[in-house]
Amino acid sequence: MKKILIIFAVFSIVILATSLLTGCYVSAKVANKSGAQLWGENCNRCHNAPAPGELNNDNWDIVGTHMQIRANLTKTDVEKITDFLKSANN
Amino acid sequence: MRQIIPAIVLLLLSCVSAQAQDSVNVAVAKASPGSNKFAVYGNAEASYISNSAAKGFGEINFKPIFLWRISPRLFIEAEMEIETGGGSADLGLEYANMCYTVNPYLTLHAGRFLPKFGAYRGRLAEGFINRFSSNPTGFGDGGIGASVETGVGALGALPFGDIKILYDCYVVNGPHLLTDTLNAGQFDYEAYTANNNSLAVGGRIAIVPLAASNLELGFSFQHKAKTGDAGTENENVSLDMQAVDLNWYQNISALQSTLRITGELRHQKTGANAAYLAADGVTKYLFANSPRAWYLSGSLRPALVDNTFFRNLEFAYRYSNYKRPVNAPWGGAAVTSNEFAVDYWLHWNSLIKLAYQSKSDEPKTFYASVVFGF
Repeated sequence: MKKILIIFAVFSIVILATSLLTGCYVSAKVANKSGAQLWGENCNRCHNAPAPGELNNDNWDIVGTHMQIRANLTKTDVEKITDFLKSANN
Repeated sequence: MRQIIPAIVLLLLSCVSAQAQDSVNVAVAKASPGSNKFAVYGNAEASYISNSAAKGFGEINFKPIFLWRISPRLFIEAEMEIETGGGSADLGLEYANMCYTVNPYLTLHAGRFLPKFGAYRGRLAEGFINRFSSNPTGFGDGGIGASVETGVGALGALPFGDIKILYDCYVVNGPHLLTDTLNAGQFDYEAYTANNNSLAVGGRIAIVPLAASNLELGFSFQHKAKTGDAGTENENVSLDMQAVDLNWYQNISALQSTLRITGELRHQKTGANAAYLAADGVTKYLFANSPRAWYLSGSLRPALVDNTFFRNLEFAYRYSNYKRPVNAPWGGAAVTSNEFAVDYWLHWNSLIKLAYQSKSDEPKTFYASVVFGF
């Protein structure tokens, strides 16, 4: 068990050290993804994607935060997805 | 030292937060006039069960989830569970988790929560996500692995180029060792309070290696040095748990379908210093206690066809295996289960499930269930 804890800690430190040196970044291919594309990709990883227009804008913000925590979505992805889902209400 | 490691990780994460580009808006969220930042979602499930021993409508589950987004940084989620499987309406607090978003890459949380130990419990087991009416053997009641915990934790996602690293780490009360005659060597994985002065440390690291985010691979662990009740001879019995999980989906144009593969392997090892009292109340015994459970599931949904009826159908198969301690009162030979399901989707989160289960230690069983997400 001690080995596992050490490996976990070393892995975490490597990730964090890398992010300190480079900052978390995304490739151009990922950065250019639309909210619609991210909605299809990320929601479907666990469940069917809910349709735009299903909820009002305030509730999309609430659900977005819930899914960010439940599924470890990135903040950027959540913001793009909720903006896309809200677009049907505007 | 072991319990300091998560604190070190948290400290480093906080350092990252200082450098990270913080796009979290601390101002009060813009909300529509009259909105209250509060929402209730969840699901309800009813099942019919038929086998050679019994026929009838089974338990009814109603699980509302209360979500309150106090501000862009402060968030509370709580799930109440009302079940009738025990013959009466049982009310339980599944979780009540308070979350603080430090920066886009770090969220701290405290309360009672679903630890990310594997991907099944807390995510893929939800009624409208699980394609079957039952749990894989070894993953439900009487199974193994972390379930619901009380404590504190940190979680987030770190993007690197095309990939994402998902992380969770937590310090919690942890499981309680059971020593009664029928359950000796099993654990209570959903205890509300601590049973001694030892805390459990756990976490999960997962990678989403593809830019399309359609594959997730995770590794989880949890360690607790003392799991027995304080003052008892089994107080110092340790428990180590590990899990690996897989979640992948892919649209297959040739079949006009979406293929989904999920799987998880859990293993745990109980300290060898445990001693249990036999039914005669005098004799003491012990046994090797290292159970293992795993499942692999696949489903195919012709989601890309034009016909609405066929588009809403999904076909699923799951194999699961639970290797129990041979000499435990709840142990014996390994249990295997083959399950087939045909589901019909009524809405993105509501479906009808028809499932057939062939399990090595139970009669062959037919399930019909309906799940409404709301």
